[in-house]
Amino acid sequence: MEFVQNFPFITIILALFSGPLCSILKRRAAKWVNTVMICLVLGMSVATLLFTLQTGEAYVYQMGHFSAPWGNEIRVGVLEAFMAVFFSVIMLLCMLGGRRELAEEVEETKQNLYYVMVGLLLSSLLALIYTNDLFTAYVFVEINTISACGLIMIRQNGRAVEAATRYMIMSLLGSGLFLMGICYLYDLTGHLLMSNIKEQVALLAASGEYHIPLLISITLMSVGLAIKSALFPFHSWVPDAYGYSTLSSAAILSSLVSKGYIFLVVKIFYRVIGFDVIRESKVINVLFVFGVLGMIFGSINAIRENNIRRMIAWSSVAQIGYIYMGFGLGTTAGITASLFHILSHASTKSLLFVSASGLTDVSHDDTDFFELTGAGYRNRIAGVAFTVGSLSMVGIPLFSGFISKVLFASAAYDTSGKVIPAMIALALSTLLNAIYFMKTVIRIYTPPYRANLTTDTRVIAMSEQPQTAVVLMLFIALNLILGLGSQPIVNMLTQGLGMFG
Amino acid sequence: MGIWILLPIFLPVIVGILLLLPTGAGAAAGKDQSPQGDLEGQNSQGDSGSQAHPSNGVQESWRIRFARMTGTFDESPESLSRLHTLTAAALIVSALLALAAAWSGDVSFTWFELMEGIPVYFQIDDVGRLFVTVISLVWVLVCFYSFVYMEHEGKERRFFGFYLIVYGVLVALSFSGNLVTMYLCYELMTLTSMPMVLHSGSRESIMAALKYLFYSMCGAYLGLFAIFFLYQYCDSITFTAGGTLNLALAEGHTGILLAAIMASLIGFGAKAGMFPLHAWLPTAHPVAPAPASAVLSGIIAKAGVLAIIRVVFYIVGADFIRGTWVQTAWMTLALLTVFMGSMLAFREKVFKKRLAYSTVSQVSYILFGLSTLAPTAMEGALLHVVFHAIIKSVLFLTAGIFIFRGNLSRVDQLEGIGKKMPKTLWCFTFASLALVGIPPMSGFISKWYLAQGALEANIGVFGWVGPAVLLVSALLTAGYLLSVVTNGFFPKKKETGGHLTVHAAAAEAGNADSRETDAADAVAARNAGQAITADAQETDPLDGITEAPAGMLIPLAILSALTVLLGIFPNPLIQFVSKIAAAVL
Repeated sequence: MEFVQNFPFITIILALFSGPLCSILKRRAAKWVNTVMICLVLGMSVATLLFTLQTGEAYVYQMGHFSAPWGNEIRVGVLEAFMAVFFSVIMLLCMLGGRRELAEEVEETKQNLYYVMVGLLLSSLLALIYTNDLFTAYVFVEINTISACGLIMIRQNGRAVEAATRYMIMSLLGSGLFLMGICYLYDLTGHLLMSNIKEQVALLAASGEYHIPLLISITLMSVGLAIKSALFPFHSWVPDAYGYSTLSSAAILSSLVSKGYIFLVVKIFYRVIGFDVIRESKVINVLFVFGVLGMIFGSINAIRENNIRRMIAWSSVAQIGYIYMGFGLGTTAGITASLFHILSHASTKSLLFVSASGLTDVSHDDTDFFELTGAGYRNRIAGVAFTVGSLSMVGIPLFSGFISKVLFASAAYDTSGKVIPAMIALALSTLLNAIYFMKTVIRIYTPPYRANLTTDTRVIAMSEQPQTAVVLMLFIALNLILGLGSQPIVNMLTQGLGMFG
Repeated sequence: MGIWILLPIFLPVIVGILLLLPTGAGAAAGKDQSPQGDLEGQNSQGDSGSQAHPSNGVQESWRIRFARMTGTFDESPESLSRLHTLTAAALIVSALLALAAAWSGDVSFTWFELMEGIPVYFQIDDVGRLFVTVISLVWVLVCFYSFVYMEHEGKERRFFGFYLIVYGVLVALSFSGNLVTMYLCYELMTLTSMPMVLHSGSRESIMAALKYLFYSMCGAYLGLFAIFFLYQYCDSITFTAGGTLNLALAEGHTGILLAAIMASLIGFGAKAGMFPLHAWLPTAHPVAPAPASAVLSGIIAKAGVLAIIRVVFYIVGADFIRGTWVQTAWMTLALLTVFMGSMLAFREKVFKKRLAYSTVSQVSYILFGLSTLAPTAMEGALLHVVFHAIIKSVLFLTAGIFIFRGNLSRVDQLEGIGKKMPKTLWCFTFASLALVGIPPMSGFISKWYLAQGALEANIGVFGWVGPAVLLVSALLTAGYLLSVVTNGFFPKKKETGGHLTVHAAAAEAGNADSRETDAADAVAARNAGQAITADAQETDPLDGITEAPAGMLIPLAILSALTVLLGIFPNPLIQFVSKIAAAVL
């Protein structure tokens, strides 16, 4: 066994233990430990990705050399390694981009706690990506939930606490349903390791026995994870949680936490239940309908919203809808499109959150839409970044959003019966996206004196906040990379999905 | 070799972006606008321009030096003339490059792969050649006109920056060789031309720009919807004369394909002002600066036509929709728009709005010609693309001169204008006659071909309804354009010494104001009210108005001369367009 094969395990442990370490360090040291940790995770994930690309097949890593069916396993392929790389990149950028807000908005004594939470969160995300054991997945789902709650309520004002409570309730409901689903499945198959469950499920499906319990189990797991990843109509916690938490929390929650659960859904579809069984179970049709509804209703709510942070949060609901619609198509092409949209949405949404915060900084720290008038002139890099993010969301070619739309459309074409609703939903939601994003872009580039606003607002030049400027540029670059060089990435996703099951 | 195609696309875009870049002084760009170019605004511009921004001391030196070099530093006369020189040089060089690229033979160039099987691909063919020539001609001439006109609007730096960028995008649009590249350029065109609409920054103009944006984007998404389908059923998305639709694949999916094609016709028809997505034109034109209106009507509306030509004749193939409900619906919509546009123009009192409705009507002449799917009518349509681009630019530029000289935005204010500005009104007269279609003016040729083509084509009842509607609409065109000419040259006798009429007009303006039904109307009315109250003390409302400056007249005269000359010597052009029509039909 090569040394590099240990890396996935090491990254999980590293992230997990960086948390407690941060709690006893000084604030400044904790900050650096956290950054270095994320960079190390990134480096090791890249090494893992290169290794899997080179070997061209997935490998199983047994924890403590206990073999199945008793031991605990990690399974690493191209898709997992790529996701780990991508998640750590986004995590790094979100933390760097939100660092100044963190120092301003969070009490000094609580800031170490924040790094603890981030460490735990990253480790749980990595574990969700890599694990081959359903119960381990559940454990890390819980760790993920707890740390996400911490991230929301670290900014201890009333709204944030309320938002965290709502998130907690919804999220625990989701975990509960997920756990029940696992229990059913364990009863039916007698296994917790994913590959073993799949063999048994295939036998069950072939013989036709226990059809209804199997269906219930699939439903419970899907619904549980759908609640946690904010699929319409379980999205009610989203606007508050993303709207009132501190900047890096909002960016991380929207672009990473929900995506971790979605990745778990893909894993359950492919590795636990088997895609054919899922397709026959009709659960995907339900996901399709809710995905489509989410695309429309999320956007409509975003149009009605006057608070820019909450508007972006509502847009997340719509984008999650896209991803579930892709699952609902029931084809590998649909899943690939959804996976690409995970990347596209993660990079765009965190870009939008960071740039929106740059814009509100120069508008009396007010998230109200009206106050943003002319903010694009006062903080130029944030204005440009927000425009890029908006164009990507709207689906203008050159940016990542267009590619995911093309992928969705061509995936929808291969299905029977879903092509028309999918196309109409895509066209409609694109138009709705255009309405609220372009409205905002024009608003931030409207000269402020037109609206009779006082002009004593701050002006932030790029040289004043070099770190934020660099982060925003990196986000823009990431978006353009996804938009212009999508083919190698799509190939990698397809290859990864091939060795995933 | 083909990489040279990128040069005329990127040169204007890069220069345009350079003009838009924030300079040291330009950090105050958020503050230095002036509403309608009044004197106070001009002063404040000068002030904010001369104050260098206090922060970031070191970086500023090279920025300012660069800004001084490109004339973007402030609004002083030397700066402006530098800005003008730079813009003109960039535009002329790019236009020459674009024409050289267009006329040096069939070149194709794959830039990069956006996705597997979807390259960003440029290719030069006859349609592209035709469009790029018209675009370059009008763009360069209107540019010289704007150098003078934009003094009155201010914020030249932003205007010329976007003006250059849009030119690059339009060249790319004309050269684009497949559906996705075309869609990319189409969207970019919408986004980059929008700032020209909201130039004045007033509330009305921003609302108009938003309306423009949403109509265009809504249309573009309908087009994209069709592109998704066509991508599945076509052998390739590269434009090929006669179409690439795979009939074997399309077998059994005809219904959905036809629906998708109809969606693309309606969608791309939005830019061309075709009913039902035409409403942005009469809103956007009155608020935009006159040169912007000229190119919006003359050129950018034609981009919708280009997109429809590409989809119908180069991807789908005319045979696929011949005789189907799509063709019928398309012809009906086009004829409806022709008639409706003329009627609305006839009863419209705001001059630029009247011209905008006229565009709605005239561009649908082109669409009707295309919708017959007959070679002669298509030749007429392509001829009308060229003629209408030139004629409508002349008309809008004239409207701009009236606003520039005397803030005359309503038709009834133009009474007797021919005595004051005979040259301008003569140019207007020639263009009007051409648009009505009086021989030997250019419009006659295109309308002749359109009507004859419709009669020849095998399209049932539309064969005679079409020409009839075109005729009625031509009469209406004469009614709404030539009335301006006759009133301009031969003002009616004032019945009661002018005062009563002035009061009546003021009262009417007041009414319009209080109703506030249409923002643009109200603005125009308010302007009219101001002009009238200012003039109330004087006897002649047109006092003090003189002939337009030479910088505006010369481009206008060249364009007007073209409307006549192309009508007298149309043969090379006709041969060229018949080659296009023969290739696709």
